Amino acid sequence: MSTNKKVNVIACSGMGKVYGLMAREAVLHTVQRLCPEQAKTLCLAYIVTGDEEALAGFDNQPCITVDGCPAMCSAKSVAAMGGDIKEELKVLDVMKLHKGAKPGTATELTPEGWAITEEIAAKIAERVQEIQKEER
Amino acid sequence: MAEELKIGVVSCSGEDCAGGTISRLATRKMIDEIRPDNTVTICLPLFIAGGQEERMFAKEYPTIAVDGCKQACAKRATEKYSGKVNSVVFVSEIIGDEFAESPALSTRDLTTEHQAMVDKVAAEITKQFDEIMNAKGKDSGARKSSSCSCGCDC
Ligand code: SF4
Ligand code: SF4
Repeated sequence: MSTNKKVNVIACSGMGKVYGLMAREAVLHTVQRLCPEQAKTLCLAYIVTGDEEALAGFDNQPCITVDGCPAMCSAKSVAAMGGDIKEELKVLDVMKLHKGAKPGTATELTPEGWAITEEIAAKIAERVQEIQKEER
Repeated sequence: MAEELKIGVVSCSGEDCAGGTISRLATRKMIDEIRPDNTVTICLPLFIAGGQEERMFAKEYPTIAVDGCKQACAKRATEKYSGKVNSVVFVSEIIGDEFAESPALSTRDLTTEHQAMVDKVAAEITKQFDEIMNAKGKDSGARKSSSCSCGCDC
């Protein structure tokens, strides 16, 4: 078990496109299954409110943002609220490696969409481990 | 011909609470199945990451906020950056605080019980949706293509 505090991994959860769902599911997979002892997530909408209590959730720990599209909502919101971003991941960068893939819809992923989402989660988990090492 | 009325449904989509998952899925159900032709939504963080056009959302559309828990982030963020909402659906009041505040659910872990929660929340959104439609003197069964107002080009 890690003795460091947890890295914050924050998804955009975009409503209108499958890539927002992939960002959300990749983050949930990372914090709940791949590295629950080293990473946690926060509600992005809570951060967006700018509440002191919500921003305290950053816990002075590094953040990884995961965004569905070039609007980069998670990265921009976390930066605007003073989060310490160590990595900005984009679902579209991974999708470029899977030209022609049909990942599903903003409501539901296909088996192909889940496989790509797990690939994104593995990337996030790798960065979580690296960031924890850097912070020691 | 008069423009058909569209109603905005803004989900908190909280990533840290099961209520956020139910909020997101119930909002998607409005868009996909229940009122596809008259529902518009927006990715909530676009109020910060987007521009003036995104921040006009609640001024342009009568808006229902769908919040996973009593923090009411969708309502408060919409009102802080965009405009007053017409009503709020509190998911936690429908499915219970304890479950709403438990860790977020992946869509692949949804059970029939969770699906029933989504249906209940969607029914409450629909009720508020139709009240707004009726108050505006429009027929929510009118047809026009649905849309997401997130502004992203992906
Ligand atoms: S980054 Fe794109 S998909 Fe994600 S919330 Fe923003 S507009 Fe929506
Ligand atoms: S209303 Fe609750 S579940 Fe939704 S984003 Fe805020 S804290 Fe998270």
